[in-house]
Amino acid sequence: MISVDSKAPDFTLADHLGRVIKLSDYAGKQHVMLLFYPLDFTPT
Amino acid sequence: MERLLERFRAANTAVMGISVDSVYSHANWAQSLGGVSFPLLADFHPKGAMASAYGLYLEDKGITDRATVIVDAAGKVAYANSVTPAGERDIAALAAECERIDKAYADAHGALAPLASQAKPLGADSKLYVKSNCGFSRAVLLARDNLHLELATVNVSEDAAALDALEKASGKRQAPCLVEGGTALLESKDIIARFLQSFG
Repeated sequence: MISVDSKAPDFTLADHLGRVIKLSDYAGKQHVMLLFYPLDFTPT
Repeated sequence: MERLLERFRAANTAVMGISVDSVYSHANWAQSLGGVSFPLLADFHPKGAMASAYGLYLEDKGITDRATVIVDAAGKVAYANSVTPAGERDIAALAAECERIDKAYADAHGALAPLASQAKPLGADSKLYVKSNCGFSRAVLLARDNLHLELATVNVSEDAAALDALEKASGKRQAPCLVEGGTALLESKDIIARFLQSFG
């Protein structure tokens, strides 16, 4: 797992509503909480 | 999670879910949960590439670990924790963590400006026309539900009068169609874009 205080790797991914999300677009604007989970249709 | 979004917003934090599933799987699953408006990202192709970059892809199982990473507005990892795939996240504790991170960021860099809402709500007279056994109709209905939009919706496959009304409003007997005021959107992509705009 990535360590605290390291630089977060940038990413660009599509979401379930057709939005394209790029992490670096949030720089200086918002913090981002990333909830990694194993698989859809399994308990969250 | 959806119920606590306001608390994360107050801490200047955007919430996103990530797994190796496709956007289609995400949209259907999200609807089955009662609607998810925050982004569910598809780390689908190449599979697990984003999770791998964060050291959270479990290659032997082909799934992502259940873990939370909070990236502050400086682009730095401020929190990272795994509860293992079978474990459970403590969302209230994470909200407190985000509040702590927001405060630490404000002390170091100055406070972030709260995001101004740019939502353009749908007109009260708006009506969504869909038809049965149509993938495009299904897509707009998933988006409607995931964004919790309360929108008059009719299925023209089950309602001949509605099909006539649709033709009168849009000039075509084609669904899906979103009629708002005097305008009709006939492409599912345009309809979903309008939904997102109404959401802000």
